Order: sequence, then structure tokens, then C-alpha cells
Amino acid sequence: MVVTLCAMSLPSLAQKKENTSRGNPAARAFFKETVRPILERHCYRCHSHQAKKAKGGLVLDSRSGWAKGGQSGPALVPGKPGKSLLLSAVRYQDLEMPPKGKLPDKLVRQLERWVAEGAYDPRVTKTADREKGINIEAGRRHWAFQPLEQMAPPDVKNTRWPQTDLDRYILARLETSGLRPVPDADRYTWLRRVSFDLTGLPPTVAQVREFASDGASRARERVVDRLLDSRAFGERWARHWLDLVGYADQIGTSNSVFAQHAWRYRDYVINAFNNDKPFNEFIREQIAGDLIAADRKDVRQRAASLTATGFLVLGDIEIVESDKAKLLVDIVDQQLNKVGKAFLGMTLECARCHDHKFDPIPQRDYYAMAGFFHGTSTVFKTERGVWSDVNVIELPETKTQQTDRARRQKQHAEKLAGWKSERKQAGDRRAQLDKLLGNKDLSKTERDKLTKERNDRSGRVGQLNKLILHAEFFAPGVPRIHGVRDVEDPTAMRITIRGDPRALGDRVPRGFLRVASAGQPEIPAKQSGRRQLADWVAGNPLATRVAVNRIWQKLFGEGLVRSVDYFGLPGDRPSHPGLLDHLAGRFIREGWSQKKFIRSLVLSRTYGLDSRHDDRAHAVDPDNRLRWRMNRSRLDAEALRDAMIMVTGQLKPSTGGPAMPLEFPENVGGLDPKDVNPPNFRFSKWRPEQEFERTIYLPVIRHGPQPGPAMLRNVFDFAEPSQLTGKRPVTAVPTQALFLMNSPVVKKHAVALARRMGKENNESKRLGLLWLTLLNRPITETEQREAVGFLRETDENAWAELCHALLASNEFLMRM
Amino acid sequence: MTLDRRELLRKTACGFGGLALGGMFADSAAAANPLAPAASHVPPKARRIIFVFLAGGPSQGDLFAPKAYITSKHGQAIKSPVGDDGQLRVGVARFLPMAPVKPVRPRGQSGMMMSDLLPNLSGVADELCLLEAMVADNKAHAPAALQLHTGHIAEARPSMGSWLSYGLGTENQNMPGFITIHPPRDGRTYGAGFLPAIHQGTPLRVPRQDGELAISNLRDPEIKSELQRRRLDFLQRINRRLLNRVKTDLQMEGIIESFELAFRMQAETPGLIDLTRETKRTLEMYGIGGGASDANGRACLMARRLSEAGVRFVQVTIDGWDHHGNIRNALPGSCAKADQPIAGLIRDLKRRGLLEDTLLMVSGEFGRTYWSQDLTGTNPIEKHGREHQQESFCTLLAGGGIKAGLVYGETDDFGYRPVQGQVHLHDLHATILHLLGIDHERLTYPHHGRDYRLTDVYGQVVHDILS
Repeated sequence: MVVTLCAMSLPSLAQKKENTSRGNPAARAFFKETVRPILERHCYRCHSHQAKKAKGGLVLDSRSGWAKGGQSGPALVPGKPGKSLLLSAVRYQDLEMPPKGKLPDKLVRQLERWVAEGAYDPRVTKTADREKGINIEAGRRHWAFQPLEQMAPPDVKNTRWPQTDLDRYILARLETSGLRPVPDADRYTWLRRVSFDLTGLPPTVAQVREFASDGASRARERVVDRLLDSRAFGERWARHWLDLVGYADQIGTSNSVFAQHAWRYRDYVINAFNNDKPFNEFIREQIAGDLIAADRKDVRQRAASLTATGFLVLGDIEIVESDKAKLLVDIVDQQLNKVGKAFLGMTLECARCHDHKFDPIPQRDYYAMAGFFHGTSTVFKTERGVWSDVNVIELPETKTQQTDRARRQKQHAEKLAGWKSERKQAGDRRAQLDKLLGNKDLSKTERDKLTKERNDRSGRVGQLNKLILHAEFFAPGVPRIHGVRDVEDPTAMRITIRGDPRALGDRVPRGFLRVASAGQPEIPAKQSGRRQLADWVAGNPLATRVAVNRIWQKLFGEGLVRSVDYFGLPGDRPSHPGLLDHLAGRFIREGWSQKKFIRSLVLSRTYGLDSRHDDRAHAVDPDNRLRWRMNRSRLDAEALRDAMIMVTGQLKPSTGGPAMPLEFPENVGGLDPKDVNPPNFRFSKWRPEQEFERTIYLPVIRHGPQPGPAMLRNVFDFAEPSQLTGKRPVTAVPTQALFLMNSPVVKKHAVALARRMGKENNESKRLGLLWLTLLNRPITETEQREAVGFLRETDENAWAELCHALLASNEFLMRM
Repeated sequence: MTLDRRELLRKTACGFGGLALGGMFADSAAAANPLAPAASHVPPKARRIIFVFLAGGPSQGDLFAPKAYITSKHGQAIKSPVGDDGQLRVGVARFLPMAPVKPVRPRGQSGMMMSDLLPNLSGVADELCLLEAMVADNKAHAPAALQLHTGHIAEARPSMGSWLSYGLGTENQNMPGFITIHPPRDGRTYGAGFLPAIHQGTPLRVPRQDGELAISNLRDPEIKSELQRRRLDFLQRINRRLLNRVKTDLQMEGIIESFELAFRMQAETPGLIDLTRETKRTLEMYGIGGGASDANGRACLMARRLSEAGVRFVQVTIDGWDHHGNIRNALPGSCAKADQPIAGLIRDLKRRGLLEDTLLMVSGEFGRTYWSQDLTGTNPIEKHGREHQQESFCTLLAGGGIKAGLVYGETDDFGYRPVQGQVHLHDLHATILHLLGIDHERLTYPHHGRDYRLTDVYGQVVHDILS
């Protein structure tokens, strides 16, 4: 893969773009300004891919269209006007085109000139012969669209090695390639690995010691169950999911508009993982939670279901787009794109303007699928200028929540009343003072005294105005979320030509991707059909394969299909197709339980392999596609920051809640309803605990640097919220090294870590403790000797320096 | 066993861009280095580019392209010139043409029009090419600025600096190929998108006082250099031992080398960006000296220093052009901050012989309307401003491969729609790449199953403006 990338980048640029005749600027201009408009206006109605049926089989919206021609043969011959059917037709010599009436002579002459001069036409085949070219039946043979195949695990020669069925699949392929897996990882490595993978945190010293001395056969299972039961599990895995959602606590891409309720979706995802919500249910709720909610009796379940539709809303929507028609079709595109990528591993958005170039997805299928979101409401136009905002939907409350809210509302009303009465008093007093100051006979001392009081009162009024505005805006109320609902009268969507909401083509009945489905849905009247879509996606083997492969990738570093977000024809093929289907089958049989599934993967022998090198295996399979060893990976931004806070003993548990510290009036602007721009945030004040909370709880900014305690995300390859990222890139750039060497944050952690270690007085024991805390393994003799040497020759802050070096070390940065 | 060096280089050059950083200072590795200078598609006219981004939307009608009709109707309501449906989608309730706030006159031999507010730039008019019919696709700042930088209005695509770094590498092996001085808030404007991260823009601030860092975490002011080196040596020793133990690991190798490079950058960058090495005359040329133009003057001078040192793409952002209200009052201030720095940059490049192969571009994300905007609804026209306008605006080009003294393109009497010589941002991008020796249709990167390019499926090189 890496090598392919290389071959396709710069050195071989020359291979592209040979087949388009370049033409001189004049020919280009003539075509663009004169010829194309004639064709568009007078011919496309019947002879283009937008036409219902290309009359006579001829299309004129691409070069290849006329070159190939229709039933009567090529439409024209460049340079030979006499041999060009198109010209005789517009001259009404044999065929009479256009049938409605002959073109003005001027236009005919322009077409003649065009052909005579070589018929420059840069329009490459877009939808051209592909409309007919897409063969959906043939497309269904692609492995990813096939039904899941369940076979008995393969036989292996070394029957003692496998511990699970998964291992048999892996070993069988290794054996056919003449390879052997490397030895198992040692217990320390395995514990650190599984702790990071499942919770994003390293094990504590006590956990390391306990596991190292636990000789029981069930010791590993105990560890895995403990990790899966911890809140940290959901905090880790929710973030993987949020990478696919384009989650941020901000909406729109400018003016710092906050998505006040976005955090409820983030908490929904954390809870979904921690409560082991069946994954098919997780899919359904995120596509159609609002429609499912109606069937739910339990208030909390109903609320969760509504909250799940944040999936469709929290994305890179341009809410300041003044062209609202365009905004709506762009949102539909984004929602479809997200469903396609996150659940189905397809790039549906490619078929928005033309049939998909690589996959059997006609443009009509795009609009059939888009129809589900065309009938869905996501944003509304606000009172302020050109701005829109995302829907805000109230959640049902439990009795306890209601009581609690009533209490908070009462307190709030009292506080507000207090401020208002104080404001009135201050205002009255100010008016009084103004009157007194109007007296010309006041002595200077008196005047000064009164003026000072007057200004004080006036200042207080201003202060109270701000406080009251803020308090009224953020008054406690019914919990709310950002989500979707069906529009009043959902209809199917019309094709938008080149994504232009005003250039409309056929209306396409709502339906599923034909290549990945057998039937088409019955959509009840007055519904968007998202519920039917949700059921179809959740039950689709493609979605199961994608889901299983994503989980595998998070645990093994690379997916069985390495292009985790793309299962299309040119995408990667599974290294172990049987295993992928076996895992998918088991996932379904075990009730779509992610915890059970993850548990079975990490307890396999394959997962427990060492990550060491092996010359022979490396020579045969340098990319480790056959899994002869474990892959290593650098910790991602969240794991790195959380681990640093944890090893210094400062990690603060959280139970979720608003990420943005909007409760501080200084962090909020634009609350006055008369403002042209929407309410917005700035970060001037943080909650003290945010410095020590897990990274997932910190605000995510949609564009621009991540703020305050979250800044480490800027440096270590955080998933860009405007992209859907199944697998984050891992880079090694000097800004990271500069951060680890010089940033005040890392230095502070080093000092805190040294202080924490300082509780152990004995130098040798202290070093041992440091290694166990940071690297989760005992220190070696060499390391002990070198560390002592370093401490001796460092006269200032020796321990902090040592801690700093280790915090920046590869062994700390890597999960091995 | 040590790493197979050749294999390492082969892989790192293509995959994880950053991993090949080791090669950044190892000449022998140039062939495998993602930042190594690369061959061109077409003969390049320029070797490097400096882009001055006038953020906010400078008013072309006040600065470069006055319209007689507008001036003649100053303050009188006119019929909307806009659209078949007769409506503007954003903007103003009444169309009140507003004459330029200060006289705009022909300058130099070319007679290029420029405002009295730009006395310094007027002096170098004959070096410039003025595009009068630029077109963008969005009327709001963020998407328009994003399109100017990346070609796309919403997605995080690679910015043009990243594309150039990817396509051409950097000529200074110890510096990034793309540096953005006082960058826009929106990080996507200098992001590498799906290109390897090594190609992303490195933000740089011109230090306003001693001790302030030009690049984040460039150094730790509290630590003695030898102490830091000792810590680094210890760190690298344990890193290498681990690497020897696992034998092959591209990521670890990449991290080890990134530390060495970081250490060198930390030592070398301060010299490179030290403006005190410039003569008094040069400083004055840029308007450096504590006045209104001081900060931008420093930024522009810094741009020249970096560009001269071989950084492929240097951007300077000068904001303060979003004049919705009282433009009469505000525009002179904005011009005073930018005029001398930009003119100084042109003069300085010329003087050093750098203008021949440096492309200079000065542009906003869009322009402003020729009719007025009044946010209050009650102000007299003297206090009005102007609304955003992406339908047409002005961009300045100068230097390598550009026809100097040319005014290209024309808009209608309202200064609204192009009537000829229209240049869309995609066309501008295609032209920039062309000048730097790249065919915009051939510089591609595979992502999510298709080959992407800066100009997406658009863009035509504007041959008429090439020298």
C-alpha cells in the first residue's frame, strides 16, 4: 500500500491526463463560450445523461458521447464537417435536428467551425456510457456485497498453538506461507497493551504487580473483564466512534458558534459502549432514533434514542450559507456521506453529480438514498441575519429529573429576582444621584464623592445587565439535544444537476443501494423512510463486515481490510476473508455485543503475540498482513494526554456533562437577541478540573486549534472534525518533538511525576517505581545504572529531568 | 541487526510523510525525502511564492477599480443590478451607489488605477498585474477564505502551500516547505488535509518582544542548552536501545530523527528570523519603526527572509478589511497598515533580484460591493460601509512569469458581474501551479478511492497574464 501510494504520487504524474486533447486557449474559449452552450440549450434535452432516455442512443455531453455516437454511428468526425452527421442533421439535410425547429444559421455556422477546427472538447466521460456501463448484477459479485459465508475454521498443523477459532484462521494462513508466529508477548507488555487498547489508559502500579503475580489460568480474563467493566472503556471507544461522526462542540465553521447540547450525543455514545448497547441497535438509533423513540416506553431509553440522531446533525455544516436551498442539499449530501462511510464503507457522495466512477452506484441510487434525508429536517433559519442553526429538540424527563429541574429553576428564579431588584435599586440610586449632581452649588468634595458613587452604581448596573442576560439565556430547562425530525410532508428527492439545487432533474423514488440489497422498501405515507433505511443498514452484511473490521483495526493496528472506511471495488481486499465473515457471523450470533466481541479478540493468542521482529517472516510479509506478530502503534492524542495525567496521579474522574464552560459569562458573547451574529464562545476561563479530566470530555473545536487543556490534540494527529476518520494518520513531525521537549505542559507533568515518585526515599526503589508507573515493567540493570549516572551528572532538578526524558521516550509513546 | 536503511527510506518517502524527516538534513537521502526538490511538469517561471492574504474582503471599488456609473450615482437609489429574479440573496435593502472614499487615479506607465490611500503601492504599479474580474463561490468569510486557500468551500482539503510543498519540496532542508505568518484562525487554511502532515503550514508569529517564540515550543526559555542536550542524549540512548531490540520500526526511527531535527530547528530558526540583521534602510522600506505599518512590515520582511532562505510557500496574513460600516473612516487605517509593507516587499524582492523568480500574490477572499451597506438603517451615506461580494473582486500578482503593468478582466458598470477576463479562484490556482512548473491536472493525491487535486475538476491556466 505504502509503495503504491508512492508510485501514484509525484514521480509518475506524467501518466495521468494523456487522453484529453489540450487545445489552444482560443479553441478552449470557443468551445466553452459558444459550442457548449449550443449543445446544452438545444441538444441535451434528448441527448445527454440527464435526459430520460438518450434518443437514438446518442449523448452529446461528453467527447466520448459523440465520438462513439448513437444508432447512426459517430455523430461527427473532427476536422471533417462533410462527414459529420451532427452537422447534416442541424442543416436539416437528412435527419432534422433539433426536431422542434431549425437552429439559427449563425449557430449552425459556429458548430461547423468547431468541427472544422478539430472539435476541441475537454469533456471527459462523466456519466456518459457509464449509465449503461454500470452493471449492478455484476457489481453484486464484489466480495463486500456478498452474503456472509460461514465455514468451519480451517485445519492447522500445529494444533497446540491456537487458543480460539480466530487463531486457527491466522495460523492456517501462516502455515501455508511457510511462516510461524513469533513468541507470545510477556505479561507486562500484554497488560500495558490491553489496558491502552480497551481503556486508553496505562495500568496502575498495583495492577501491574497483581497481574505479574497472578498465576491463575483465568488471570487474563479477569483483567479483560475488569477493563470492559470500567467507565474508561466507554470513554476510550466512544472517541473512536466520534472520529467517524465529525463530532465537535461547535456548529458551523465561522464565528465560534457553540453547539450547546452536542455533549449529550457524546455522552450517549459513551453510555452505549459502557452499557453494551447491541451494535445493530446503535446503528438504528443514530439513523432513526427520533422515529424509534415513539415505541419506547422507558423515558430514559426514549431520551437516548432521540439523542442518538445527533449523529446526523453534528457535522461540518455551513450554517452561514446564504443560499438556503444549497444548504439543504449539502446537508443531505453530508448525512448520506456519513451513513455511507461510517456504516457501509462506501463513498456515496461520489455519485452526487455523476455515476460512481469505480463502484456500481448509479447517480439514481444516490438520490434514492438521499431521499431519506430530503424528508428530514436538520436546520432552521434563525432570526439573525443569514444564519441558520441546527435543530434543538426537547427530551422527555424522568420524575427525578423533573423534580431536580423544578428545584434548579426555583433557585435560578430567586437568583435572577435578586439581581433584578439589585439592578433596579442601583438604577434608581443612579437617577437620584444624577439629580443631586445637577445641583450647581455642590462643593468639590461633595461632587467628587457623589460622582464616584454614581459611577460605581452605573458600573454595577452594567455588570448586572450582563449577568442577567447570561442567566436568562442559560436558564435551567428541559434537557435538549441537537437532532433531526421528519419534515411535514416528506417526498422523494429530485436529481440536482452538478449539485445545483436549482437545476433539477428527475424525482427518484426512495430506495436502497441496489448493488447491496435485494428488495426496495415500503415507505409509509408521511414518513421520511429513515426507519426503513435504519433497518436495512443494520441488517446489511456490508455494515456488519465494516463494523467488525473497525473493531479489529483498533485492536490490531491494521484492519483485515486495511481501507477501513472504503470497501468499494478499488478498496483493499480482506487478508483473511474467511476470518472476516467468521467474526461477522459470531458478532451477530452473540447479539451484536461489542464487549463480548472485543473480549474474544483480546483473549486470542494472536492478540497476545509479541511485536518483535523476525527476519524470515519480515522477508515474506513485511507489512505483517498475515499477523505473524503484533503491530506497534504510537499512542493517539487522547491516550497520550490521559496517560501523562494518570502517571502523575492527577487524573480526575468525570461523569460527562457540558464540555464548553459556558456557565462563565466571560466565555460567551452575542447573547443579545438584537445582535446580527449568533451567540458565540471564547475561552477565557476554564473549570479548574478540566485540566485533569480525560480528553474526551474537553471541548472540540471545529476549525482552528484545539483550546486550552486540549491543545495536545493539535500536535498528535487528532481527527480533523471536518473529516470522517476511521483510522487516524500517524505522523512524526518536529512540532511533536518540540512539544515534548519544550512545552510547559510536559514540563509540568515531569515535575509532578518526580514529586509523586519522591514519596519513595530509596533511590533504587524509586527508579523501579518510576519504570513501573511509566513503562509498566520492571527496570533492567543497565537502565538502573544509566539512570543513576544521569541523576549524578544532572545538578538541577535531576529527577524532573529524568521524568521528562522518559515521558518523551518512544517506549512511553508507543503501545507495543 | 540495524534497520535496512534503503527499505526504510523507500517506505517513508511515500507513506507517513513525517517519517522521512531524517532525510531532511541528510543529502544522501534526498531521493527518498518527501521535501526534496522535485522535477517539474512544465518549465517553471517562479521558484517560490509569497502570498499576502488581505483577510476580510478589501474593497476593490475604493482601492483599484472605480466605476464611473457608480460614482455618478453616488447616494441615489438605483435599481438592483442583480440576478434574473432581481434580488440579492444577502446584503442590502436599497442599492445606493457609493463613490470611492478617496480619489483613485492612474499610476505609473501602465496607468493602473490605485487609490490615494495606497501611495507606496502606487509607486510600484508597473510591477503589478491587476486581475479585476476574480470570482469566488461563497459570500461568507470562512468558506470563501477556505476556498481561496484550498479550492473547496467546506471540506478540509490540502491548502495550496501544502500542495506546493508536496509537489515541489523545499529548497531549505532544515526548514518546512510552507510557513504561514500570523495565520488565519481557521487552521484548515494551512492544513495538509489528506496529504502527509509534513506538508502542513507551520504557523509563525513575529515576536513582539524578547522571549516570545516565533514557533510554538521552539525553545524552553528556562532551560540551559547543555542540560537539555544531556536530557535529549539520555532519551535518544534509551530510544535507540529499544529500536535495536525490536530491530525494525519506522515510527520509532521517525520519532528519533524528529527530535534531532527539532533540536536543530530550535538552534537555527532564531537566526533566520532575526530582523535585527537587516539594515536600517531595509527596515524603513517596509515601514518598520513603531508606526501603524510596523507589525505587517515585520511580517513581510520575515516573509522575504524565509523565502530567500528557500521556503517554498510563505504566507502573510494582514487582516482588517471587513468594512461593513463607516468605510470612509476605517479604510485609511487598514491601508496605512498594509501599503508600505507590501510595497516594501516588492521593492526589496526586486532590489535583490528575487522578484524574477518569486511569485507574489495579494488577495482577499472576496471583495466588496460598489453600493453601500448600512447596518444601522439610519446612518447618512458618509457613515456607510460595503457588503461582501464574491461575484467579482480584485487580486494583485507580481513577479516570476507575470505580465507586469497589466490590468486583466473587466466587470459591468455596477462592478458586479465580470464581462470579460473572468478568473475564478480555481483558475488562479491552476495558474499559480503552472508558474511554479506544475500542471494542475497532474498534481494529484489518492484519497478515499480517487485522485484529488487542488483544482478538483475545474481550473484553466490564464495564459493571457503570463509574460
